[in-house]
Amino acid sequence: MGAKIGSEKLGNLYSGGPVRKRREWRGLKDTIYDFFRWLGIMLMLGKFIVRPRNLKAMFRYRWMSNYLFVPMMIDRHTVGLRGEQLRIAHAEYDLVAKDVAQLLGDCFRADKRCGNDKKFSKKIVILDENEMFTIMCGFPNLKCVSWETAACYVSVLLNGASMTHYLDVVQQMGLPGDVCPMPAAEAGIVIDDDAPIYGACAVQCNTTCDGSLMGNGVMSRFYERNGIPCFQIAAPLRHTEDGVQDYAAQEIRNAIKFIEDNTGEKWNWDAYFKNIKRFNAENKHRFGWMEMSRTKYPQVFGANLALYAETTYMAVAGRAPAFLKADEKITKLAEKAYKKQNLVVKEHRHRAIIWGVQAQYYTDFLPWLQNCWGILPLVDMLSLVYFEKCSENDKDQAIYDIAKLYQEMIMRNRTHGGYEVLLDDLWRFVEYYNADMVILWEHISCKALDGMHGLFEERAREHGVKLVWVNHDLMDPRVVKRQAIRDDVNRYMRSVLREEPLDPTLENIDDEKSY
Amino acid sequence: MKDLKHLYYFEHLLDDANNELVRKAQEEGRKCVGSVCYQVPEPLINLGNVFGVRLRAPKTGSLEMGTYYMTSFLCEFSRALLERALEGGYQFLDCILAPDGCTMINRCVENMELLKINEKPDFFYQYLEVPMKDDLNALNLYIGQCKEKVLKPLHDKFGVDISDEALRKSVEEHNKICRLITEIGNYRKEDNPRITGYEFHIICMCTYVAPHDMLIQKLEETLEELKTRKPDDNFHKKYRARVCLVGSEVDDVDMVKLIEESGAYVAADRFCFGSLPGREEIILNDEEDVLTQICRHYMHSTMCPRHMNLPKWKRRKEFVNEIAKEYKCDGIIYEQMKFCDPWAYERMTGTYVMREEYGYPVLSVDRPYAVGTSGQLKTRVQAFVESVEIKKIQQGGKK
Repeated sequence: MGAKIGSEKLGNLYSGGPVRKRREWRGLKDTIYDFFRWLGIMLMLGKFIVRPRNLKAMFRYRWMSNYLFVPMMIDRHTVGLRGEQLRIAHAEYDLVAKDVAQLLGDCFRADKRCGNDKKFSKKIVILDENEMFTIMCGFPNLKCVSWETAACYVSVLLNGASMTHYLDVVQQMGLPGDVCPMPAAEAGIVIDDDAPIYGACAVQCNTTCDGSLMGNGVMSRFYERNGIPCFQIAAPLRHTEDGVQDYAAQEIRNAIKFIEDNTGEKWNWDAYFKNIKRFNAENKHRFGWMEMSRTKYPQVFGANLALYAETTYMAVAGRAPAFLKADEKITKLAEKAYKKQNLVVKEHRHRAIIWGVQAQYYTDFLPWLQNCWGILPLVDMLSLVYFEKCSENDKDQAIYDIAKLYQEMIMRNRTHGGYEVLLDDLWRFVEYYNADMVILWEHISCKALDGMHGLFEERAREHGVKLVWVNHDLMDPRVVKRQAIRDDVNRYMRSVLREEPLDPTLENIDDEKSY
Repeated sequence: MKDLKHLYYFEHLLDDANNELVRKAQEEGRKCVGSVCYQVPEPLINLGNVFGVRLRAPKTGSLEMGTYYMTSFLCEFSRALLERALEGGYQFLDCILAPDGCTMINRCVENMELLKINEKPDFFYQYLEVPMKDDLNALNLYIGQCKEKVLKPLHDKFGVDISDEALRKSVEEHNKICRLITEIGNYRKEDNPRITGYEFHIICMCTYVAPHDMLIQKLEETLEELKTRKPDDNFHKKYRARVCLVGSEVDDVDMVKLIEESGAYVAADRFCFGSLPGREEIILNDEEDVLTQICRHYMHSTMCPRHMNLPKWKRRKEFVNEIAKEYKCDGIIYEQMKFCDPWAYERMTGTYVMREEYGYPVLSVDRPYAVGTSGQLKTRVQAFVESVEIKKIQQGGKK
């Protein structure tokens, strides 16, 4: 127990109940730092709840109770970290938490059932949770509020079991249990009448999969019944082909026009280019961190990269200056740590590419990988998005850029577009990042990934890469428990590689009830 | 009823994907285009010296190889096609044109490509981006894709004439088949129909899996035969309810048979490989180019649940209501092949809307690719028929 990396036996912190036995001891300096950041989050939570409309929402919406677990969620993702690494993680998560608090605040201010601020509501465009928010970069006077992000996406990060009720609701309605739980849960929220009602209009998109596309039908009916006009961007699936780009660009033009018609606002090119410059700068930072992961001393990687990049790239999309500031801070910290040749865990045994779709109820699996087995999750599939720079002054090209971003949004850029982007690209990244292992999330309801199962195995053998399948069901921890996820790795490490864990106390932990 | 003269012949055609007529056409030097979805317009692949077949995997047994490559979570249709391909069952094809329709079928064809299931040297694959909405922008995309991914390769590889005149002729041929099937199918509207749902399903399915020109004579003879065919007197004893079968891919010859054996007459077929839509004529005008008109027809008529905009979402339900009325259906069976994502949602919402908003009794089931003599499914249908009967009696009492 102390400032030294790996000095704490982390498995001993689990009590078998909802909270851990005690906070992690990281040495005096880091423990104090971590404690005050924790305190900051508690204060933010307190400030949020004292607002009457937010308090009302806390009792109105079942999913709102999950937000009480924000501090625990951050603790789970900072476990085992010290020094610069700890500060990088807090720079990321604390800002994301603040951003989500803002999202919730806007949501309940406009919501008919809570704040009911009609004037404010008329300035809101609703987007899907898994959709690029870039289309809002040219509407500086409008707010973009995704209730799906608040109710579903973030809720599961905070409490893995938070969507099981809604999954039961939608399955009771007749939806089979084998479809992707994310759109299914969102449909369940609507059917359960647990979605906030607000907004001037909504813009949906066929995001990652057939399930997501089909879930939109349920949502659009909900919007229609509440007098909210809805537009669907049908972005092309074969996004690598030139022949579909004109169509994709026209979809974006149509969507912009739809927003203009329904809000009275006009698309503002100055605002767009200002935001997109920031977006490009943010991406530059992300590429820099990922380049660092090619070396022996990666600094920004794993869950910290995945969750932060998702927020910055997709939901913020250059619209919030605070994220660029945070990026600059993270880069400075990472460079400092890199110069010192800091290790994140006491021994880097394997370098892994994380491919497939993460278990949303167990995003802290990646910290577990590094702490328990010394497997460094260098980069993940969801962070490997769009490497090109968007135009910062050409209006015609800009429409094509937005269209491309919509086609190649997170996850969609791999689940659609043919086997080349899902299967072939993986081995290119393995080589590029000098990885010796692939942790392949097998989200059992993700048909796009399941459909390549056999060929992943064959290619892994051809390339001589260690391939570890890790099964999960995205938002339903009842189907594959967290320990079952860990056991997929434990079994491989012990029976195939004959290795001993770095921290044996983490091999089997009783965290089923823990937040 | 007396057996239809050619029914055995039609049934026999469905025993094998590489059926007698396909073999005959290829012996004549014609090329065979495999497709996997409604959204590859048939007039474009029944053109000149090429003819199209929709892929099926009749008499599917084990799915072990398909399951290894695609896991047990993909629909059995896609796994059965891959299994059959790996067994060498599609060696007769000269190319596959696959829309990036549903993910599973797309992955299935990609697996075929990567596993090199066909040994012909010039064999090729094309993946089409197809509309997911019904609007002008989607139409332009569809036209472009059909030009680049269907017509151009057929012209370049097989020397097919893709002129407007050739397309117009192909549409005429297509319409001939559609008229015959529609006329045959119209007999299902009768109070005491002279054709069973099973017989119609078999006849209609043949038109998706064999060269059209080789079928016409037998279809015409069948239509003539039906004109004078005497219906069974005991129709109402045998079939205690008339249903509209709505859902995903039904190319299993046993599916409709099983439903009818359980007491429900399948009067309307609103599923892939069915005639509603699929066998309506394409009406051409002289002002526009033919390709545009063909694409518009398919884009408007498709009832694929992957068309995602709300008007189309509603239209699908309205269409079921329209045909249920037209074919005098007492109830609706929504079926979904297990693990099919698009139909999972469509079945859920369709069941709700048809039951709550249109007032139909609805049976909602999922099923395997090959139903065989599934006792489970039979029991579900039998129970549904009983519930429809009870409702009828109750309504009669009220009157």
